[in-house]
Order: sequence, then structure tokens, then C-alpha cells
Amino acid sequence: MQLSKLSIITGLFALLFITGCSSSAQVQVDRNFPTVVSKPKAVSASIIFNDEFKDYVATPSKKTTIDIGAAQTLMLGNAFAGLFSNIEFVQSKDQVSLENALVITPSVQEVQVSTPSDTYLNVYEVWIKYSLDIENSQGDQIDSWFMPAYGKTPDSFMLSKTNAIEEAAVIALRDAGAKLLLDFYRIPSIYNWMLREQKLGGEQ
Amino acid sequence: MNKFFPLLIAALTTALLTGCGATTSIDEYRPNNNIMEINSDESVVILGRRDAGHYDTDREFISCIGSKMQGADISVMPEQQFIDSIYPWFEPRTAPKGLKRLTYLMKDPDIKSQVDRQGVRYLVWLDGSTQTLEQGGSISCAIGPGAGGCFGFAQWEKSSIYEAIVWDLNDFSEKGRLRVDSSGTSYLIGAVAPIPLLTPVKKDACSSLGKQLKKFFSVDN
Repeated sequence: MQLSKLSIITGLFALLFITGCSSSAQVQVDRNFPTVVSKPKAVSASIIFNDEFKDYVATPSKKTTIDIGAAQTLMLGNAFAGLFSNIEFVQSKDQVSLENALVITPSVQEVQVSTPSDTYLNVYEVWIKYSLDIENSQGDQIDSWFMPAYGKTPDSFMLSKTNAIEEAAVIALRDAGAKLLLDFYRIPSIYNWMLREQKLGGEQ
Repeated sequence: MNKFFPLLIAALTTALLTGCGATTSIDEYRPNNNIMEINSDESVVILGRRDAGHYDTDREFISCIGSKMQGADISVMPEQQFIDSIYPWFEPRTAPKGLKRLTYLMKDPDIKSQVDRQGVRYLVWLDGSTQTLEQGGSISCAIGPGAGGCFGFAQWEKSSIYEAIVWDLNDFSEKGRLRVDSSGTSYLIGAVAPIPLLTPVKKDACSSLGKQLKKFFSVDN
């Protein structure tokens, strides 16, 4: 009887060790993101958040998944609202109703994760590589803009791998919003489009 | 056996006393010795630098400094609250590295009004990390039916180096710099049960830096 109790305790310890050392992580990014402090330009834009983007789950490695769909829709939605004074969010191109507007379709090209065991640094890192397909209202392509975002969080004794990757992903998403706000109007083709459409006012 | 017992106790006590002490030094630079004034409706924000490639100034340390500075006189605004309120201008990619960029940023009326609305007077930038420098020894633990334990000896040295820079948002000037350097060795003795003798290096660095920063300010009620 005593031996069987001991076997159970030993078994439990072994199980604890095995699960504790498991390197798999299923991460769900579920955060609120701040609204942006930015004065939107007098430009109209239709943003296409399709189902693939809204429900996107990244699989950077066999044992890691990161569900960033809802979080990136919220974050980039906030950032786009800080860029354009007249904006609509639609699910597909046939729902676009604004005229003389930019039609922007964001998509995720790749998500990469690195952990302290990969790099021997005390940080977890997440890269999200976005692509923005930018067209005018007539369907002519203006640009396809590559937008990488990066986030990292320090490793600490009490932080689980799942929480650390979530934290790094949140920072990467915030970085995506910051890069979008900072660099969007610096894209040469966007600048030229605005010149053609006389949307720059006295800024050129 | 009885002869060795007091010796063992003395050795353990010595190890405890020497093992748990961190060596901490603080360097301070201020353009003058004037006390920085802060009104009761103004606050200080402590922000971490996170643009370095291989480390991040950890939030735990920033919270610790905030708690050391906070008192009846000084109001410390939580870092995340401030960063969120002016998103995206204090993210790792966009945060001003120097006073020139800060001055330019504050010319934006939307950003300035957000900062003013919250009564933020001083920004304290913290940059640094705590790292394990050297590790030695080995300890092994085993468990079997009816018995278990740890045997061996391990030691590691930690070093905390942080720099604090204080910016005044009234005149966009640097009011002072502080650098704390704390190091110490921790031990783990495996004598059936593992006995940790930990040196609170980071805690010591936080305590020293927080107290020194607090001395920078006075309150004009």
C-alpha cells in the first residue's frame, strides 16, 4: 500500500517534470490597445480586413501557435484611424463604398519567434512581417508595402514561455501601429498619389 | 561530533553574512545642487529604455524605483499609463533619445496637451539590466522511493548596472544623472535540503537608486 502511494507520488513528480519542461506554447493575444495621438490627414481610405486577417493564427514553429487575428485587427484599425480622416472598414473589395480613396488590404507574410534557448540572450523576440496592398478606388495598384514589426520581452524566472511570447507579440503589434503611423505618408508612391490627387495642401 | 557542531554553525553564519551582502556604488551628476521643485499637482514618470538589442530595462525594476520614490510628496505616474496616453510616441521605436527630439515632439499640440493634462513634469529614463556574470560549482538533486535530496555547491555572481537621466518638461533640460552599480555573489548549498544564500543585488540597486532619486525633488505645496 505504502509502495503504491510512493509510486503515485514519484509518477506525479515525473509528470510535473515532463510538462514543466515542455517547449510547446499556444498563445492567445487578448489585450486592449490604446487609441493613437495623431491628427489624421484629409484622405479617404477603405481598409479591407478579410476573414483570413481577422482570424489569423501564426505557426512560427511546430510547437508554437500565436493567435493574433483579433489583436492585430484592433491595433491596426486604431492606427489607420489616426492616418485618415474619412475611413471605412470592410471585409472585401466589393464592399468598398468610398470614392477617390485608398484601398488598403493588410496581410501577414510571416511571424517568427526566438526564445532564449535559440539565441542565448535573455529575451523572447517576435517578428511580424506585414504586407499592405495599396490600390486606388479604380483598382489600380499604387504600392505593395512591406512592413516588419518587432517586439521583445526579457526572460525572467517566473515568466512562462506562453506569457513571454504573448508579451513580445503585444509589443510587436504596438510597433506595427507605430511604424504605420510614422512611415505611411513617407512611402514615395503614396506621396506621389497625394500630389496627383492634390491632398497635400501646403505640406509639400 | 560535538566539537565540530559550533564550527559548522560559525561557518554557516559567516557564509550567510558574507554571501548575502551586495556591493553597491552610486555616481551622481547634476549641473547644480538646486533641488528640483515639483508642485503637488505635478507628477514624475519613470520610463525604461527598450531599444537595445540584447536586453530590456525590466518593468519590475521600474515599478520598484517608482515605489521607492513615491511618498506623500512625490506623485509617480505608472509607466504604462503614460506610454498608452501618448501612443505611439514613446514606444521603443519612437521614444525620444535626446532633448532635441523631445523638444520637437512637444511642439505637436496634441502630444503636448496630453502630457499637460496629466500634469507630468519630469521624465526619468532608466537604462540597464541585471545579469549573471559568473557561475561555478554544481549541485545535483535525486529522488527515489523513500528518499531524496540535493548534494553539492553552486555559486553565481550577479551585477546590476542602471543609469537614470532626469528630464524637466518645463524647459526641456536635463536635470541630473545617476548611475548605480551593484554586484554580489549568491550560493546554493546542497546538504540534503537545498540551502539558498541569495544576495539581493537588484533589490539593493533599486533601493539605492530610488532613495537617491527621491532626494532630487522637493515639494512646493
